[in-house]
Amino acid sequence: MTSLYLYAGWVRAWHWLNALLFLMLMLSGASMHFAGAGWLLNFAVARPIHNIAGILLTLGWIGFVVGNLTTDNGRHYRVHLRGFLQRLFIQGRYYAWGIFHNAPHPFHPSAEMKLNTLQQLSYLGVMYLLMPLLILSGWGFLFSIYLPETLFGLGSIWVVAMMHLTVAYFLVLFVLVHLYIITTGETLTTNLLAMITGWHREQEAQTHMETPR
Amino acid sequence: MTNLSAKRTNMRNPDTQTDNVRLKGRHFPVRLSLINVVMLALLATAQPVAGESQATDHQACLRCHAMATLSYRDPGTGNMINLSVNPQVLSHSVHGELACAECHEGEFDRYPHPENRVRKTRSCVGCHEDRDDAKDRVYAFKTIDAEYAKSIHATSDSADVKGFSCHSCHDPHRFRASKVGEPLADIVRDDNQVCLSCHEKVRDPVSDPHAWLPNREKHWTAVRCLDCHAPLTGNGQRISHQILKAKDSNRDCVNCHSKEPRLLNRLYQYRSKADLANQGWFNKAIFNDAYVVGMSRNPRLDLIGLSVIGLTLLVLVAHGFGRYKAYQRSRGIK
Repeated sequence: MTSLYLYAGWVRAWHWLNALLFLMLMLSGASMHFAGAGWLLNFAVARPIHNIAGILLTLGWIGFVVGNLTTDNGRHYRVHLRGFLQRLFIQGRYYAWGIFHNAPHPFHPSAEMKLNTLQQLSYLGVMYLLMPLLILSGWGFLFSIYLPETLFGLGSIWVVAMMHLTVAYFLVLFVLVHLYIITTGETLTTNLLAMITGWHREQEAQTHMETPR
Repeated sequence: MTNLSAKRTNMRNPDTQTDNVRLKGRHFPVRLSLINVVMLALLATAQPVAGESQATDHQACLRCHAMATLSYRDPGTGNMINLSVNPQVLSHSVHGELACAECHEGEFDRYPHPENRVRKTRSCVGCHEDRDDAKDRVYAFKTIDAEYAKSIHATSDSADVKGFSCHSCHDPHRFRASKVGEPLADIVRDDNQVCLSCHEKVRDPVSDPHAWLPNREKHWTAVRCLDCHAPLTGNGQRISHQILKAKDSNRDCVNCHSKEPRLLNRLYQYRSKADLANQGWFNKAIFNDAYVVGMSRNPRLDLIGLSVIGLTLLVLVAHGFGRYKAYQRSRGIK
């Protein structure tokens, strides 16, 4: 049994706030986008919920970036190019093949690197590409009058709307995969408990373990 | 559509909600009311109008017809028939510069007016197509005629639309085209009054067939009935006169809210500016009243997005099932 304290208090607080906001944004966003379908929120209710949650999500994202710049949590998002593709392949092969054959996990988190390469890549894409696009397009909706009339030759509102929609679909996809992948730890709840308590606990012998700080 | 002796004319203005011009009298005039007596007295002192230049002179006619209560009871139907013409409304109307006699030709200087004159059919299309400016008009009356022929008002078997004509909606004594620069809300309200004067069920929130519509009340003040109940046409005319059946009318939000990005852009930016000016920065960010249903809707993106999400879910379920099988195998080995 090994225990590693991987998720600092602020990371966990941010994570769960972010998760709650994501749920609210997905529900209220779908209610606005598909308004008129019976099982959704009333449009007039969904609109302020979506806007308030979006504003909080923006503040949360800024907090996340600042936190990563000022604490050592940021190191987990630095890509180490040496052996990058190989690590990516090994991780991918595990999810596509090894996991069905009870192969051992190819990656064990450490204080230096808590994210496997596939995880790191997807979090980088989500937090530093999709989230900024989502946030910018969301604020673009609110303060569109400060945008130029056209963007790329199209009406700027249309560009903003389509960007927001496309990114939103990608993020819904991310949430689905994320929810599934957290069950692929040593046990179904290993990763979930780690994000709740901060402690990553494994029974399995860990050959690549670093000493916990 | 070209019969002035329309059974009903239902265009209302907010200032004269009770105006209801009914010109068809079977035994006209049959009964003289007190007002008619007053009118006769006035006529006795009136100058004869025959032979006079009548270019913009309505006065002779309006001496009687300007009386707000000028009416008689149709002995056939028992309905009160309103014969009054509001001079102010007439002067602002599209026909305001015409003399009465340009449409009401003949011996109208006599009272009682000859019955064959009163019952004469008057054609909008004929008159409008003959005019020199016919080609410069936004609306070609022949096109209107063709569209109207396919309209539910022309094709329905319902007794309600019997005798329907141009004048059922466009009272020639008060109709005026809207002009650019007028407040949109006023244009919408005046336009919709025409429809609502007959389609009264729509006013009742309980029986209104539009109950499905999100932001119903907002639509009432921002959208003309015709915007959904007439087809989009490519003939350059702003609106089609082919009024659709309820079941053929537009129910798809996307048709208005996101199919025409330029329109969307303009409307959204206008409303955003108004929001900011009226409510300030903070309320704008939270409430964003400019946002309308369906703004972000794009059928193709939705199809792709939902399909990919659906496929991903299937893959995840299959993946989970595979893991479960592997787990079972591992326990079996142990």
